[in-house]
Amino acid sequence: MEMVVVAPPAPGRLEDLKRRFFATPLQALLSLISLAIMAFIVWKLLNWAVFSAVFTVSGGPEACQAAAGACWSVIAARWRIILFGLYPFEEQWRSALACVAVVVMTVLSCMPAFWTGRRIALVWGTGTGLYYVLMKGGVLGLPYVGEEAWGGLALTLFIFVTTCLIGFPLAICLALLRRSDLPWISRTTGLIIDGVRSLPLISILFTFAVVLPFALPQWLQGDKLYRVILGSALFFSAYQAEIVRGGMQGVPAGQEEAAMALGMSYWQRIGRIVLPQAMRNALPATINQFVISFKETSLVVIVGFFEILASGNAAYGTGEWRFAYVEVYAFIAFIYFVFVFSLSRYGAYLERRMAVGER
Amino acid sequence: MNSTLPSGPAVRIEGLDKYYGSFHALRTINLSVERGERIVICGPSGSGKSTLIRCVNRLEQHDGGRITVLGTELNDDVGNIDGIRREVGMVFQHFNLFPHMTVLENCMIAPMIVRKRPRAEAETTARRFLEKVRIPEQAMKFPGQLSGGQQQRVAIARALCMQPQIMLFDEPTSALDPEMIAEVLDVMVTLASEGMTMICVTHEMGFARRVADRVIFMDGGEIVEEAPPEAFFTSSRNERTRQFLSQVLGH
Amino acid sequence: MVSLLRNQKVRNALLQVLYVGSLAAMILACVMIARRNLAEQGITSGFDFLYKSTGWDVNFSLLPATANDPYWWFFLIGIVNTLFLGGTGLILATIVGTIVGLARTSANELARLLGRTYVDIFRNIPLILQVFFWYALITHLPTPRAAHEAFGMLLTSRGLYVPIPNVGGIAFAAAILAVIAAIALPLWLGRTSRLSQPFGERLGIQLASAATALATAAVILALGRLPDVPMLDFPALQGLNLQGGLRIPPEFSALAIAIAIYGGSYIAEIVRGGFKAVGKGQMEAAQSVGLSPWRVFTLVRLPLALRAMLPILANQYVWLMKATTMGIAVGFTDFFMIVALTINHSGQTLEAIGILMGGFLAINLSLAAVFNRINKAIALKGNQLRG
Repeated sequence: MEMVVVAPPAPGRLEDLKRRFFATPLQALLSLISLAIMAFIVWKLLNWAVFSAVFTVSGGPEACQAAAGACWSVIAARWRIILFGLYPFEEQWRSALACVAVVVMTVLSCMPAFWTGRRIALVWGTGTGLYYVLMKGGVLGLPYVGEEAWGGLALTLFIFVTTCLIGFPLAICLALLRRSDLPWISRTTGLIIDGVRSLPLISILFTFAVVLPFALPQWLQGDKLYRVILGSALFFSAYQAEIVRGGMQGVPAGQEEAAMALGMSYWQRIGRIVLPQAMRNALPATINQFVISFKETSLVVIVGFFEILASGNAAYGTGEWRFAYVEVYAFIAFIYFVFVFSLSRYGAYLERRMAVGER
Repeated sequence: MNSTLPSGPAVRIEGLDKYYGSFHALRTINLSVERGERIVICGPSGSGKSTLIRCVNRLEQHDGGRITVLGTELNDDVGNIDGIRREVGMVFQHFNLFPHMTVLENCMIAPMIVRKRPRAEAETTARRFLEKVRIPEQAMKFPGQLSGGQQQRVAIARALCMQPQIMLFDEPTSALDPEMIAEVLDVMVTLASEGMTMICVTHEMGFARRVADRVIFMDGGEIVEEAPPEAFFTSSRNERTRQFLSQVLGH
Repeated sequence: MVSLLRNQKVRNALLQVLYVGSLAAMILACVMIARRNLAEQGITSGFDFLYKSTGWDVNFSLLPATANDPYWWFFLIGIVNTLFLGGTGLILATIVGTIVGLARTSANELARLLGRTYVDIFRNIPLILQVFFWYALITHLPTPRAAHEAFGMLLTSRGLYVPIPNVGGIAFAAAILAVIAAIALPLWLGRTSRLSQPFGERLGIQLASAATALATAAVILALGRLPDVPMLDFPALQGLNLQGGLRIPPEFSALAIAIAIYGGSYIAEIVRGGFKAVGKGQMEAAQSVGLSPWRVFTLVRLPLALRAMLPILANQYVWLMKATTMGIAVGFTDFFMIVALTINHSGQTLEAIGILMGGFLAINLSLAAVFNRINKAIALKGNQLRG
């Protein structure tokens, strides 16, 4: 059904167009309808976002509201709140630097040169450590800033990174436990994994944020932020564990037998033989899971964190910019889009590359 | 695990029973393999021959009887199992090389992490055994880049790098194209001539005739016949053996 | 002792006991601590609270609700709301997804581009952001006084007002059932009669059954009509507020729109994947026996693609059901929000969490059961094709 036809030698431009879009009356109609829809949307969008939009702060909210198009002044006026939340104004460069550290870390871990257990752990350890030191301060002459002041994009990234950092090893543990030969261990773990998977993430975040303090001794409660991260990591790991397990099932049984016959212990077999191959099998699904969980970090807004969505709400919700909600949401959507789209494109690229490699 | 055991058989199997669910896969097997002895086990598929040698290094757990390897009994003691696996090498039908490691790494990993040999020593050993199986030039390639025969020779080298006292071969040539069978058998013959204790499950009757000290015929989970090759091929009186031989040698 | 630890069987038993035991101990400890903490606040554990009246109200309910109703009734309301929102979102998302998915597999390059752009944009923006956006958009609509009007519907910041037939509740429900039958009957007949009857005859039966069901609906509506009022109740401004018609609150519309658009982008990909899974050979075979393009599509491509899609679609539907919990972000009283409110007001934390888990388990399991049955019913017999 794909329309890839090898072109006859050097057709005229017009003929080519005709063949591609107006081959039959039905095709022509479809093309025209699509074209009309596209033209309408693109024109409306451009007109709103560019031609009739206001970009400067100088006129103030009133002039902006009067304009027919988008009011990007709200972004110019409030971008710092959206990106950094309530982080102290003079210290916001640290927050920006911390975000850069996380982005660099993500880019590095997309490079095959870093795909060994030790290197990836090193990259993520350093990246997260750098983020934490930069954000929290208290050392190296950086003034202390507590977690309660973190916010915006920086907080979103922190929750995502720590979720993965805790969730990934946990996922591997869960997958191994579920694959265990010992029936009670695999059954109990299966129950935990399926139980968590059947619940909505919000209910887990809510339980960890609000209910858990009742059920834990004082000394174990910790900060609400870290409890929520733990809940989010648990949810991530339940899904990732099934992906890892799928990857392990793709490793032929002969591999483990060969390792056993060479006298390797359980941990040597898992660490050196099974997991490296399983992770390779599971890579596309894993990246997809990262994409999903990045989008899902936005849910912490419900349990009362000042991440990028909440800071966006605050950016337009107070006073004179009340009308400019579309622009603020468009800005946040664009930020999410850049992160999520590039990550999912990368995943699709890997999948294609691996499919070619298998042939 | 005492590896300098004075005498006694390399493998002694007494009254071995093995079930898969209600299926009786091995029925009261008795077998003793001396040090330096070469045994070939043959039989129709499903006769339990693979299961038997997989019991020797506990890839399969036996349900009854005793297996003693190099003087150590194979029981629930985890230490015994690990010790025996270190001294018993195995070659599989489907090679089972580790696809994410180079040929050299395949040969080095077990000596390094199981025997705790330093890297340099492991590499020297690995290269020596790759030389011996006649593919030293492939050391830096990945298994996927080699032919079946080459892969199986790497698998033999990988097992030898652990410097085992006993080698188990589980149909090492069954998955190979005909023209590659010879190169693998050549390596096995060399190994046999150096006095390695070998238990081979194979249908290569030429190989059995040339190197085996004893040929064992199994059917239905039992040892049906056990004889030196000459007697086995020429004067077997057992009906099932003769039928099997006529099928294997007949064409 | 040491030799005992080296024994494989002893080791295995010990490991299992340790693992299961420590997990059980942890859960037990948490429950004990929680009960003690709650008892200190004067909350007695147990499910007696289910029969107490709540003392608070819900903003959206398909069932009659007052602050005097007991908790168990509110939980029921929550589940019905969740199912209603989930069902609406699911149907809308399927419609959107099918259209976009077909565009993505179309032979037309422009249509493909359009479909792809849609998927790329809406799939990559978090659902909750889309919910917030639509909620803000709707609540920023004009007040009832300056409402936008279209086809007798009123768009206002208080919600969408649509005309509603003036009939009794039971008659209304029966009419809805009849309409559902009008859609489901022809589909079901199409399935059971298969290819044994000629195409024209089948179509006739299908149309006739649909017409009968629709006529039944009309009759029910006419009979159940309330006396002395016009057939349709149009919303209209009275004083500062709107009277009449059915009000669809902004919370519900925002959620339903967002779920339809976001879920639609995922379903579009599933639809595309399903069509891609149909082998070229199947279609060429159908063309070669002289079927028209339309019948190649309806008789070969669609049925095979549906079989490939269904298992993935089932997962997506379960996910959409769970996504209704985002209701709490805009204040829609779904099941989860009722649970959260219950914890806030009554303090019966453990019981409420238990009910929450039980509720979602039940929803998930029943969805899975339904899809398993459909899957089994349409699975290709034997293993000649991917199923």
